[in-house]
Amino acid sequence: MEPPLDTLNAFRPRTGTPEQWNAAYIRVEDYLRAHRVHNRLQQITILQKVIARAAARHEQDTTLDPTTLAAEEIDRMMDEWFGELLGDKNLPHERIAVEGRVALLLSDGVDRWPYSFLDEQCVPPEFAQEMQRRSIQAGPDMTVTSMVPRTIELGALTEVAGQTFEQIEKWPILRVTLLWALFLSVMALVFYATR
Amino acid sequence: MSVPFTVEQVDKSRVSRRRATFFTLVFLLTTLASWFMADLLWRGPSNYADLPVLVLFAILFANIATGFCTAVLGLYVINRGDSARITRSIEGEPLSQLPLGSTAIIMPVFNEDPSRIFEGLRVIYRSLEETGRLDDFDFFILSDSNDPNRWIQEEVAWAELCKQLNGFGRIFYRKRRVAINKKSGNVADFLRRWGSSYRYMVVLDADSIMTGESIVQLVAMMERNPTVGILQTAPRIVNGITPFSRIQQFASRLYGPMFLSGLNYWHQGESNFWGHNAVIRVAPFMEHAALPELPGAEPFGGRILSHDFVEAALMRKAGWKVWLAYDIEGTFEEGPPTLIDSAKRDRRWCQGNLQHSWLLFARGFHPINRFHLLMGIMGYVGSPLWLLFMLICTLHRFNTVQHAADAADAGPHYTMIFDYAVPMPEALALFILTMVLIFLPKVLSLGLVLKHGRSGAYGGPFRLIISTVLEVIASALLAPINMMFHAKFVAYILLGQGVSWVTQQRKASDDPDWREAIITHYGQTLFGLVWGASTYIIAPSFFWWLSPVLLGLVLSAPLSILLSRASLGRRTREIGLFLTPDETEPAKELTLLDRHLAECYKQMQPIRELRRDYGLMQAILDPYVNAVHVSLLRQRRPGSYSVRRYFVELRRKLLADGPDRLSTREKMALLLDPESMNWLHEQLWKQPPEKLSPWWRLAMRQYNVLTATPVTALYR
Repeated sequence: MEPPLDTLNAFRPRTGTPEQWNAAYIRVEDYLRAHRVHNRLQQITILQKVIARAAARHEQDTTLDPTTLAAEEIDRMMDEWFGELLGDKNLPHERIAVEGRVALLLSDGVDRWPYSFLDEQCVPPEFAQEMQRRSIQAGPDMTVTSMVPRTIELGALTEVAGQTFEQIEKWPILRVTLLWALFLSVMALVFYATR
Repeated sequence: MSVPFTVEQVDKSRVSRRRATFFTLVFLLTTLASWFMADLLWRGPSNYADLPVLVLFAILFANIATGFCTAVLGLYVINRGDSARITRSIEGEPLSQLPLGSTAIIMPVFNEDPSRIFEGLRVIYRSLEETGRLDDFDFFILSDSNDPNRWIQEEVAWAELCKQLNGFGRIFYRKRRVAINKKSGNVADFLRRWGSSYRYMVVLDADSIMTGESIVQLVAMMERNPTVGILQTAPRIVNGITPFSRIQQFASRLYGPMFLSGLNYWHQGESNFWGHNAVIRVAPFMEHAALPELPGAEPFGGRILSHDFVEAALMRKAGWKVWLAYDIEGTFEEGPPTLIDSAKRDRRWCQGNLQHSWLLFARGFHPINRFHLLMGIMGYVGSPLWLLFMLICTLHRFNTVQHAADAADAGPHYTMIFDYAVPMPEALALFILTMVLIFLPKVLSLGLVLKHGRSGAYGGPFRLIISTVLEVIASALLAPINMMFHAKFVAYILLGQGVSWVTQQRKASDDPDWREAIITHYGQTLFGLVWGASTYIIAPSFFWWLSPVLLGLVLSAPLSILLSRASLGRRTREIGLFLTPDETEPAKELTLLDRHLAECYKQMQPIRELRRDYGLMQAILDPYVNAVHVSLLRQRRPGSYSVRRYFVELRRKLLADGPDRLSTREKMALLLDPESMNWLHEQLWKQPPEKLSPWWRLAMRQYNVLTATPVTALYR
């Protein structure tokens, strides 16, 4: 028997303009696509849930923007879902969001279990295990050690040259004068030697 | 049971004899040539330029003679075999039984192509996995990239590679917040953080490839030879596409073995470090090879740029040996694609090598290390000396012409060797001797390949000979151009100036930049034209002697363009010119790299409007990239009120006005701040469309529309 059409049409935002809800819909759709959720059926299921929750909030405060509300709702849904799956519901939003998304990326969850993303009831145990075991480690534990440069004894002649060099650098006019004097001497020498 | 070979068994007196032979040969050849030159100068009318010409000639000839003697001794060693080589210490042993120690394979990177970096790493990792010895190795990508796009691409590629290879916990990524002291600072930072956890580190460049087998062998050689501090391999140049890079790789592959055997003959335990494709014993390196600053400021003083030679000298000074594993297979690098790119690299190396002048007389350095430093300096100072020598000779010749009715008769028509008069003009004898020293090693290398029946790997005997002749012509034309480049670099550095460049090109292209070529080479062309015209007018006979030099200079711009054309390079490969065994019988790792990269590069590029700030866009917009990026950032303590205000203002500007309104520095500041990155990701998705810049609205609508996965440096 076919499902009655009125169950599919049951949800309609009671406040806000259609343009506002279109924009909210597009934003959530873009967000899901950014999560690489390309399955249309799954997109629609999530979208309807998100928009319904956002619409309910909008009814209470119509000054809020539906797009912002929808984005907040999908974030909240994801936080709850990640918290449940990763077994830690008390983490602040920033941490749970980051850790959850990293785990989802590393487990390839969206690709491997396409209908389980944001499903509160039916998450396959292997998906949950994969999510829990995945975290990022950029480097091993640090064992900080000092590495101190030792002075190289440049030799008496070079030391003197170095000191002179540093002294000359303090007076740029002298340096330029010396360089020009050197250059002109070489030119004069070449000229004198070859004429 | 026989005792396994170690380098400790190499007799010291034998090493001394080898060095005595080498330096005696150099001395004899230089003396002979200088004698000819002196005779030639003193027989003509006396001139004040005679002495400077002779001194310059002796210095320059000694430099050529050093290369020649190395090659001749290499030929001797190849024909006779050399028992004093470090690879003997593991010869004939199966890989599975070689002794190993904990090793970090490190790859310092700086804005290089992330696809090439991580595909190269994948190939090395897989190759090492196949040896069954992966457990002893960890991999580190040490990034100093300051281009936001490159940085984010590296992070994404790293996460993707680790996922694909199951390499988390074995392949690590570290981005320095402040890149102090360039590459040597990057490596030192790694050592300070993690160095004490490893016995060895294998240093790679972003374009290095090493097979798993070669890495295992290198580390095993270090285990077998506990007095060795650095073990350097001789990487082969591969993957050249343009004629320029193919000629370089052909020359290095054909002539390299003889020179490398010769180097090992007289280097022995006082060899050199070339900065990559080498293994280093970590503990003594940390203790003895941290680099101090040189007197004065850059470019001549300050921090040491060419760190590798100095590190080798410091290790040797501390009693650790440095060996060259010249005959180990499976170690590769890539060369610059164009003449201009090669000059840009030389610019850096030149500055670094000139700094070594400070260290020539440093207390405690081994004489051979001093010689390495001197040779490095001469590699660049030789060019202005050659230029000066030729200019003085030209002026000398002009002077002679003015005073002699017939300039052609100015020189003697016979050569005196002791009391025997050889009926050949002395200038010609000297010229022939110089040409022999320059070209004989090339001919001998060619002969070796033909003799050992290896010409098939170079495309067959006919193509090999043609390629060698073309290489000789190309190198003769390029030599004066490089001479002019190096002379300019040396002069600028001595005057305390940097050298500026127009836009930089990294990859082989079918459409080289004429503008860059003309701007870079016009001075050389003009110099060649003026020099050539004046010589032709005043001393026509001398003009023909100078013609190879003048031809290279006058044709520098078109030559540079011609040798940069990727299509021409591919054509030379199709017709079998400049083929090398690494192209005809490539290592499996090279083939894999080639295939993987082709797959990466054929993927779709981001749309044009978004391309410039694609990395920043991904780090903010893509939920996964943002999460990976934030996870890799170190949490910071909240800054002062003014710092917080600064970030708040930057974030607002980025979302409302788009990334075009921010400088690279501001973008980097945001990317380095985890709080800002979290905030930006959240707010980007929460803000109503009218509050976002059109750039962000486009990015959100376009992202992942045409592909199932976002555009990254890694695809498979």
